[in-house]
Amino acid sequence: MIRRPQTPLRLAGYTGRHMAAGTKPRRRRAGLSTHRSSHRSSFTWGRHRTLLAFLVVLGFLVSGASGVVAYFLPAVTTAIRVTGQSTLGKGSSNSKLQGVGTPPPPGQPFTVLLLGSDNDTKFVSGAVLTQTMILVRVDPTTHQAVMLSIPRDLWVPIASGGSAKIDSAYELGGAKDAVQTVQSDFNVPVNYWAWIGLGGLVTLVNQLGGVDLIAQMPVLDVQYPYDLTGKNPYANQRIAILPGPQRVDGVNALTYVRSRHGALLEDIARNQKQQELLVDIKDTAKHMNITDIPRIASALGSEVRTNMSLTQVASMAGLARDFSNGAVKELVMLPPDYTTGTEQVGSATEQVLLPNWTAINAVVQQNFPA
Amino acid sequence: MSARQLLAGLATVALMAVFGLVVYSVLGTLQTKTTTTADPTQEQALVALPGTVFLTQNGSIYSLHGLTYTKLATPPGDWYQVAPGPNGDLLAVDKGNGYSDLYLLSQTGQVLRRLLQESSPYYFQNHFVFYPRLSANGQSVFYAYNWIDPAADYNVDFEIQSVPTANPGASPTQWSIPNNYTGGDVSPVPTANGGLIYTSFNVSSSNSSYPYSQLVYLSSPQGNPVYLTTPAQNCSEPSLNPAGNEVAMICVDNRLQSDTLEVATWNGTSLGTPTVLSQGPMAASPTWSPSGNGLLFMNVTSRGNPFQLYWIPKAATSKPGTPQQVTQNLSLNALSAPVWYS
Repeated sequence: MIRRPQTPLRLAGYTGRHMAAGTKPRRRRAGLSTHRSSHRSSFTWGRHRTLLAFLVVLGFLVSGASGVVAYFLPAVTTAIRVTGQSTLGKGSSNSKLQGVGTPPPPGQPFTVLLLGSDNDTKFVSGAVLTQTMILVRVDPTTHQAVMLSIPRDLWVPIASGGSAKIDSAYELGGAKDAVQTVQSDFNVPVNYWAWIGLGGLVTLVNQLGGVDLIAQMPVLDVQYPYDLTGKNPYANQRIAILPGPQRVDGVNALTYVRSRHGALLEDIARNQKQQELLVDIKDTAKHMNITDIPRIASALGSEVRTNMSLTQVASMAGLARDFSNGAVKELVMLPPDYTTGTEQVGSATEQVLLPNWTAINAVVQQNFPA
Repeated sequence: MSARQLLAGLATVALMAVFGLVVYSVLGTLQTKTTTTADPTQEQALVALPGTVFLTQNGSIYSLHGLTYTKLATPPGDWYQVAPGPNGDLLAVDKGNGYSDLYLLSQTGQVLRRLLQESSPYYFQNHFVFYPRLSANGQSVFYAYNWIDPAADYNVDFEIQSVPTANPGASPTQWSIPNNYTGGDVSPVPTANGGLIYTSFNVSSSNSSYPYSQLVYLSSPQGNPVYLTTPAQNCSEPSLNPAGNEVAMICVDNRLQSDTLEVATWNGTSLGTPTVLSQGPMAASPTWSPSGNGLLFMNVTSRGNPFQLYWIPKAATSKPGTPQQVTQNLSLNALSAPVWYS
């Protein structure tokens, strides 16, 4: 009878491949040493299995996270490229913008300065006027908001020194000067700012799939700038937006809020339409969710700038869903109450609007309390 | 490591990679679906309306008969604002780049005649013409025309004009005198007594008011305007019923960006108290049924969705009713009221 030497590494219950055919599996021998060995082996295999399972789960998690990162990468890179901002909550890391806009404590009302510019091909640099300046105060607890449009021709002290039309603050000193000018002149702390160009608005509306709006009046203009798509940015075109409910694409949305020649109140009428479009965009954007952000961010490119982080933008988008249109107060500075006249003053080469600070301060204090 | 273990490991790694791709793809599918506009000829209506209805979408005109749409064989163009024409034909606007022309079409889309040509090689001689309407006796065509003030070319408001149907090249009759720099007057509705109801826009000097619209009645060209609605009502888009004794209209709350479809009795000089037929969100372009027992109009199920055609019977009570959706998956031009032939 040939005795097989017992392999100390043989595992409990493991018969082994090398067992001769017809050989009965050896029973475990009773005894302390064998038991210890078997137990240790079992424990080691269990640890291996646990480790393996952990690694597999970790692999899947890493893979899934990679998918998420890859998906949101366009939004993140766009955000970083546009303003050098951080992406996850600290707002701007651009040194030029330090101190401009401080995030409010969670749940507290905050103020956003919305800026819009005619950055068409007539302009070669980023130094452009802000034809649109809208202060928006949002109260997340009461779900109420108020918008105040600041006329572009308002003659005010500006941050870079002296007095000028308020739309030149951005041209002279970027968002920092625009924000500081508004904060100083209107005594309103501004937490965030966002700037959008002509193409940005067109792209934004198109990315939303169009916007439903109720045009307040016919918009006719035979000298509307042909600067967005035309070869000659100084050329004009004839446009007509008919009144009433309708769905507009980006170009028509821009046309509606940009045209002013055919309106009695010119820039003030444009302010009203811009506020209206903001409400319409809010309504349309209710259908969007966070997974839409990369597509929209990629499309917008450098046509949007802000000191808000992506998480803050996403948070505000979520907040906007809870606002009914009746909870959004829309204010414009209609003459003659808020402006005392139109004159050519100081260094201005064009006529400007002279502010009636008594009336303006009253409405600001009422609607934008510190 | 055995080959089997190696294979298992590789398979696991491959699965991990696939999982990452799946996560990426799933996130993509969670994106909001942008509205896709269906070709009406590939769709069916939800409700079979009696007669034939003409609608416009993406610059084309479609007829709806029963549940089936047929595309009219118009020449290429941006066609909309179809209106009843003489002898069962159709009036329609073809919008070009900076102008629009008015045509008379057959019900199959064949161009019978160009009634108004507003395109010109001279920039300031281009004009827009919209909202065509045939007079009650069929002898005149009314429309909104953008006049250009030779002294101030920013002043280009719409005014209501009419031309003889048989001789549209004749000098037009100016009916309305628009408020300057307000967008002007649109949506003419000729009445059986030879008068005209239309929408007039204005801008309030009040601090809190938006631009507003009112329905106005003129008994004769450039006659004394009779205001049928108040600025606060902010009503537009009048539609006279076949019997000529009720007017449907759209009244807008600018602040809420919502509106109502309302109907009021019409005695030839004034409107009765309006009844709200349908409450928002974006009712537009009402058209009476040939029998006058209800209305077709455009609306959206909610903001962000495309305009569809809805039907609502004339109000039997003072409470707004629930409109019945007639079309689906389309993206109709809300600025173009449907035409309904029996």
